[in-house]
Amino acid sequence: MRIVIAEDQALLREGLARLFVDGGHEVVATLADADNLLDAVRGAQPDLVVLDIRMPPTYTDEGARAARAIKDELPAVGVLLLSQHIETAHTVTLVAHSGFGYLLKDRVLEVREFLASAERVAAGGSALDPVVVASLVSPASGSPMERLSERERDVLQLMAEGLTNSGIASRLVVSERTVEAHIRHIFTKLDIPETDDAHRRVIAVLAFLDSLHHA
Amino acid sequence: MRPWPAVLFAATLAIEVGAIALSWGLEPAWDTALYAVYGVTLTGAGVLIVSRHRGHRIGLLFIATGLLEAFNDLAQGWGLRAARHDWPAGPYGEWVGLASWIPSGLAIVLSFLLFPDGHFSRRGWQWVAWVNVIGIALVLPGWGLNPNLGDQFISGRNPLGVDRAPTDLLLGVGMPLFLGSLVVAIVPLVQRLRRSSGVERLQLRWFTFASVCAAIVLPTVAVLWSVAPAVRPLSALALTAMPLAAGVAILRYRLYDIDLVISRTVAYAAVTLMLAATYAATALVIGAAVGRHSTWVTAGATLAVAAVFGPLRRRVQERVDRRFAPDRVYSLRQMSRFLEDLRTGRAAPEDVERTLRHVLGVEDLDVRVSLPHGGSTVDLFGAPVSDGLREGQMSWPIRHGETLLGTVVGPAELAERRSLVTKVVQGSSLAVEIARLRVELRHQLDEVEKSRTRIVAAADDERRRIERDLHDGAQQRLVSIGLALRHAQHALGAANVEVSRTLDDAVAEVTETIDELRELARGLRPAALDAGLGAALRDLARRAPLAVEVDADGERLAPDVEIAAYFCACEGLTNAVKHSGATKVVLGARRRNGSLVVSVADNGVGGVVADRGSGLTGLSDRVAARGGTLRIHSSCTGTTLLAEFPCVS
Repeated sequence: MRIVIAEDQALLREGLARLFVDGGHEVVATLADADNLLDAVRGAQPDLVVLDIRMPPTYTDEGARAARAIKDELPAVGVLLLSQHIETAHTVTLVAHSGFGYLLKDRVLEVREFLASAERVAAGGSALDPVVVASLVSPASGSPMERLSERERDVLQLMAEGLTNSGIASRLVVSERTVEAHIRHIFTKLDIPETDDAHRRVIAVLAFLDSLHHA
Repeated sequence: MRPWPAVLFAATLAIEVGAIALSWGLEPAWDTALYAVYGVTLTGAGVLIVSRHRGHRIGLLFIATGLLEAFNDLAQGWGLRAARHDWPAGPYGEWVGLASWIPSGLAIVLSFLLFPDGHFSRRGWQWVAWVNVIGIALVLPGWGLNPNLGDQFISGRNPLGVDRAPTDLLLGVGMPLFLGSLVVAIVPLVQRLRRSSGVERLQLRWFTFASVCAAIVLPTVAVLWSVAPAVRPLSALALTAMPLAAGVAILRYRLYDIDLVISRTVAYAAVTLMLAATYAATALVIGAAVGRHSTWVTAGATLAVAAVFGPLRRRVQERVDRRFAPDRVYSLRQMSRFLEDLRTGRAAPEDVERTLRHVLGVEDLDVRVSLPHGGSTVDLFGAPVSDGLREGQMSWPIRHGETLLGTVVGPAELAERRSLVTKVVQGSSLAVEIARLRVELRHQLDEVEKSRTRIVAAADDERRRIERDLHDGAQQRLVSIGLALRHAQHALGAANVEVSRTLDDAVAEVTETIDELRELARGLRPAALDAGLGAALRDLARRAPLAVEVDADGERLAPDVEIAAYFCACEGLTNAVKHSGATKVVLGARRRNGSLVVSVADNGVGGVVADRGSGLTGLSDRVAARGGTLRIHSSCTGTTLLAEFPCVS
């Protein structure tokens, strides 16, 4: 796949580029800040943009804002945000988009899993760091989450991480049928209307994250 | 002093000396001496007044009256001496001396009408003076030409007596006018006294006091003139007191406390009368028992008087004070009650200002405290105040030993009650001293608190900087190193399994180090705080080893409040996990009435005390540094920790 990288630290930028090249991907542009990122993405039409959340000049949420701009204009381009630590304030609205990922930076060192996540995002899937998901779905009083059992919560968490039913089944060491049963219960308990399955999955995760955010 | 008043004074003195020389031995010595003193006092008071207030009419009036008195004395002396040595014109001298009371009436009327500023009252009382002048114009010939006055002269004949003059008619018309105007002239004086305030009131009180004394003494002496000749000198004394009082009133009214003079005078007069009555009554009783001429009578009466003097004087003084200076009695009692309350803790030293206002009956009164070491002037609560005086204000120093503690600033009218004010202000010094110490302590404490807040803020900034450095520096570098290792591993391919495994281990090491650094950074300052207190608390709850519920909304607060609140919850949670044996904790952070209330409630065994050395002491320091308060409720069903931070939105 074709990749654009935005990362202010040169060493890390080069390291990331090399990682993707080593993995057999094409890095079409690397940038040190978010200023010209949208132009670069428009020009290069990549499959995936990998960018740091904190970049010059203020080192707060430049990356998150650039990611939102890309998603608004070019929803088909996958966006993978990297962060040194988890900041849900800037990212919770982004989670609603398909083809979005948010990972801790050191996940890149687990090369195979990282590349798999990147490919999933580029293909329109999602990849949320377990820490991100956990911080979003931690139980808070009055949330619809309370209606779910602990097991259902685990399943939803893995759904939010972007895993498929079989992925969830293998992670929880249960059968796929059991996972499917849990997911049906989740849909019912969260009052999600019956449409196509992929869409319902997204709605489940989002309704749930959204309600948590407003709790 | 310009020369002519001095010349007039010297002239009066010389004339009076001459008059004494002429009269000496020919009339009672007190008569000669006291009236000479009266004349000299009149001119002296007038000269002093004129020298201080140029052209003051009261001064001029006194000088004129003093000179007239001296001439009269001289004329009288000449009359007496001439009769003895057969000098010429003796009876005319006598005539002048005997008629002198007539023009003196005008002087008294005028001094009543003109006191204290030398101008007639604006209500038009000049006519009283004219009536008096007409009265004098009628009385002078009606009296002076009367042939029936012969017995008043040594020669037995009035030298100016005219047999067929209508003297009865003149006196019959003139005398009521003369005496009436004298009485009526008191009315504007009393009116002025009633309407006056401040300095004028003080002056009028002095003069009225002397006038009232004269008004009582002169008729009394007239009545007793032949019955008890011993009282005769009193009239001269009473007359002398009037120019003296007027002089004091105009020149030195601030020096003496007129209320005190009045009440003391009345008290001593009353005591004297009562002692005389006691003496007489005792003498009568003992005399009836043992015979009138026994020495027992004198001894017993004296003993009785001596016995009653002490308690009587105290009682009378108290009564008189209550009648003539009720403020004084009440004020001193209020002040001592306040001091007693202060001693027993029923009153705060800062109440001294209110007490002084109440005691002295003025609202416009402030206590200003001078802080030591050349410090500023503040009020009793430490707020800075100016140390200048406004128009019409006066200040009294408050001293404790040698130290000047501050001043009492009040309206200038308080000078009327100088001795009372001084006494009350002096009484307030203990309270002011305590209040001053408290202000000083508060100032120093304030300084310490400010510096503590600065230190905590600096530490927070430093934590934030180090946290940033760890995230953006060390952690990123480690990721880069990891990536480099992975690249090397890739470049190596499957060629060397051993090296590849070593590289895997190295990357695992790097990942672990990054995790440790992340934990370290979180301990310094949780990055989750960037998303707000609620997010940070939820992050905290998620990582806790027991069920933690969070009750917080997404509202943003000042960064320093958020970090203080976060560490507070953090410390409380740690405490609950370590010591309480709780299975559930609720973290709360809610705005309530302009404060942020952070609560950590567990269902553990309780028994938490925030004593020295416990982690909670450090916590309470942290809370206090933000101006907050920390409360702990601990019982066997759990512990609730409540920290309240003031925050403005």
